[in-house]
Amino acid sequence: MSSTLSADTPAEAREAAEEFRSVHAMIRTEVGRMIVGQEATVDGVLAALFAAGHVLLEGVPGLGKTLLVSSLGKAIDLSFSRIQFTPDMMPADIRGTNVLTENESGGTSIEFQEGPLVANLVLADEINRATPRTQSALLESMQEKQISVGKRTIKLEDPFCVMATQNPVEQEGTYPLPEAQLDRFLFKLVVGYPAENDYRTILRRTTSNEQIELKPVSDAQTIIRMRHVVRAVPVPEHVETDAIKLVMATQPGNEHTASMVNEVVALGASPRGVQALILAGKVRALLEGRFAVATEDLQAVAPDVLRHRVLVNFQGMSDGITSDDVISEVLR
Amino acid sequence: MNQQDTTQLRNDIKTVARNASDQIQATSQRSFLKQNIPRALTLLLVVPLAALMVQAVRWYGGFQAGTIIPLPVWLLLTCLLPIGWLVFRLATRQFEIDRHRALLAADEHLGSAERITTADDFLQRQQSDGFMQAAVEDASQWAKQGRDARLNHTRQEMPNLRRSMLSIPLTALILGLVIFVAAYTRALPITPPGNGEPQALVMVPSAVTPPRSEKPEPQPPQQETPAERKESPRDPRKQRAVNRQGAANAAIPDNAEESQGKLNEGETRESQQSSNPSSARGAPSASGQPSKSDDEAKSKKKKPTVKKPDRDRKKNERKQDEKPSGATSGQGSSKGSDNNAAPSDWASTSQAATPEDENLEDEDEVDDEEEEQESRGGVQPNMRDRRTPVNRDLQIGFGSNRPNPDANGRGGPGGQKKSRGVASLVLGVPIPDRVNGQPNKGRIRITQQRITPEPEQSEPVPAQDRAVRNGPVGPIHHPDLSPWLQNLVRRYFLDQRKKNPLTNTSKETEPTTSPDSLQTTIVGESDTPQS
Repeated sequence: MSSTLSADTPAEAREAAEEFRSVHAMIRTEVGRMIVGQEATVDGVLAALFAAGHVLLEGVPGLGKTLLVSSLGKAIDLSFSRIQFTPDMMPADIRGTNVLTENESGGTSIEFQEGPLVANLVLADEINRATPRTQSALLESMQEKQISVGKRTIKLEDPFCVMATQNPVEQEGTYPLPEAQLDRFLFKLVVGYPAENDYRTILRRTTSNEQIELKPVSDAQTIIRMRHVVRAVPVPEHVETDAIKLVMATQPGNEHTASMVNEVVALGASPRGVQALILAGKVRALLEGRFAVATEDLQAVAPDVLRHRVLVNFQGMSDGITSDDVISEVLR
Repeated sequence: MNQQDTTQLRNDIKTVARNASDQIQATSQRSFLKQNIPRALTLLLVVPLAALMVQAVRWYGGFQAGTIIPLPVWLLLTCLLPIGWLVFRLATRQFEIDRHRALLAADEHLGSAERITTADDFLQRQQSDGFMQAAVEDASQWAKQGRDARLNHTRQEMPNLRRSMLSIPLTALILGLVIFVAAYTRALPITPPGNGEPQALVMVPSAVTPPRSEKPEPQPPQQETPAERKESPRDPRKQRAVNRQGAANAAIPDNAEESQGKLNEGETRESQQSSNPSSARGAPSASGQPSKSDDEAKSKKKKPTVKKPDRDRKKNERKQDEKPSGATSGQGSSKGSDNNAAPSDWASTSQAATPEDENLEDEDEVDDEEEEQESRGGVQPNMRDRRTPVNRDLQIGFGSNRPNPDANGRGGPGGQKKSRGVASLVLGVPIPDRVNGQPNKGRIRITQQRITPEPEQSEPVPAQDRAVRNGPVGPIHHPDLSPWLQNLVRRYFLDQRKKNPLTNTSKETEPTTSPDSLQTTIVGESDTPQS
């Protein structure tokens, strides 16, 4: 199956959109065999995957964040690696390093040994346990899809997606992610507790001899093609205007900013926020059966897109205002 | 999607936009009317109020009764003003609905997720890909639905006028009726006695209101009855001031009035008086009349000016007895004041000693002391200063367990002062401001008694030998001698050995029972120089 997209006619566009929905549904169904409930989280992770973005999962322990990402890696035939971030981890442990190896002729040579970052789907588990130095090792790979070690630059294979988890409770001994890295995540998904019925299903699956084996229902080429489909979705002019105003409304001191934002927001969304809004809106428009992005798509994805890009200042924190409250005020 | 379908879609979108725009405009007009009709109703009151004012002017102006403008005209103006204002506001109102906004409203009404707006946008673009064309095709069904759709928010009804708003035209109507009735009921003919013909409807101003005179006519002096005289002096201070004012007015000499009028040009009365030190002191000056500025100043200070001349006179008598030398300037000023003091009878006659006056004297004692210090120039000591100072102890009921009558709350040299800050809020708890030194627990009291020394009888202690100590010595510290001290001791014993060689030899032969290492060391070392 080719990874190129041909959508010059309405029929091809409809076919591409239909394929997108089909692939999305297959992966979602396969992941749903392992993950009970958490539909919104699964949709968000898949949207980030199709929009060529990265996702940050935040939730208390035991909600299946790691299981979700690992299940996604199994459902899609992608190279998957997991990095358990620890405080003593160094950037070379992630990117890889040059090691002295002995060749067959008895001599020695320096070879580059790849780190776990060189994969299609990278699970950065408890990313905020690593030092900022190690966290910053992800910046280049997340934005430019490459890593630089010494004089060597390694292009990461497409699709490349970093799915990081962090625990909001165990903040002791953790290092909050810097704003530069937060901005590189397309979504920040807050994983909540499952419903009562989901608990029963979880118990039956995990406390019995039932073994669930996930099969890959898609591959890297399909994901790449679906990414092209997403980017082919047109955006009307008024939707672009709305997206720009929405992001500018989160920036203090702006003409579109409400007074509440001026008081409690320390840092607003960056231009990456507009890009993320549009890309996520395109995914949602395709999933909703439309061929263009609408304003309601922006409003639907805005909380996940802007949540980690809007930083509340001290006054807002003291008043108990969260970034979600700010976004709700902006969307009003 | 062929060209015909595209054209049909364009027309449909155009129709949808036009319909939506018209409906939004109509809704906007309704909303405008809803907001402005209450204001227009308020304007109903303007014309009746204006008519009422005109009529009132006519009544007080002495014009003829009736209305200048006929009543139907008033009513017509009353109705036309709010209507004209509404029409003017509607005509000058600028409200335009653009196409994009109208299509968005239609999309919102149809629930089409902006498909029509998006299609309109994509149709205006020069280039379009498959997704754009698909989006346009997708919008065709919604555009057909939107052609005949009526937006939800256009179904607004006419504004419901509240009862409070309806009261405005009712008030206007009542006002109009009042004007009408008042205009013709005030114009009832005034028939003079003996004349049967109706008099012309003339509004005589004097009949409406009493004539106003510019200057009040002088009232004949009313003789005050004894009962009134008894009740009137409720405030003795005011009463005395009034009495003294009256007496002073009676005692003003003619030359004093002339001197007040002889001020130089640009010179005020105050400056003129301040040049005279005697008058500046507030004592009865040569003019014998306190100036206006003095009265104002004294009224601001709330000082009883009534008592002052009497005290000044007493003070002057005392000064005359003391015969001051007058060498200093301060004395000169006071002397001038004495010389210019004109004894007047009104001061003494108006000062009848009453118990109320004595109370006043106590209240103003502090101010009087200051004034006396000023008048004496600070040179002559006040005899009253020689009295014993007040006990400023703040103890309330402590010690002798009775209130301190002399405590005036100012604190003093005592150990306990008036507490300040939060502690002052606690009533009756004196806080020590200065704590005396207490080296030991409790106080040290040193008492001296004058007593005559008396001899004491005691038995003599018999002398006896000093016995050997029975108890333990206890731990004895043997510090290591420093090298220089060891050397000194060593030399000492060497010298002793040289002086008494026999004694030293016998000592050498005896075994040292003492565990003192020093002596052993010395003995051992003493051999070295000999060897």
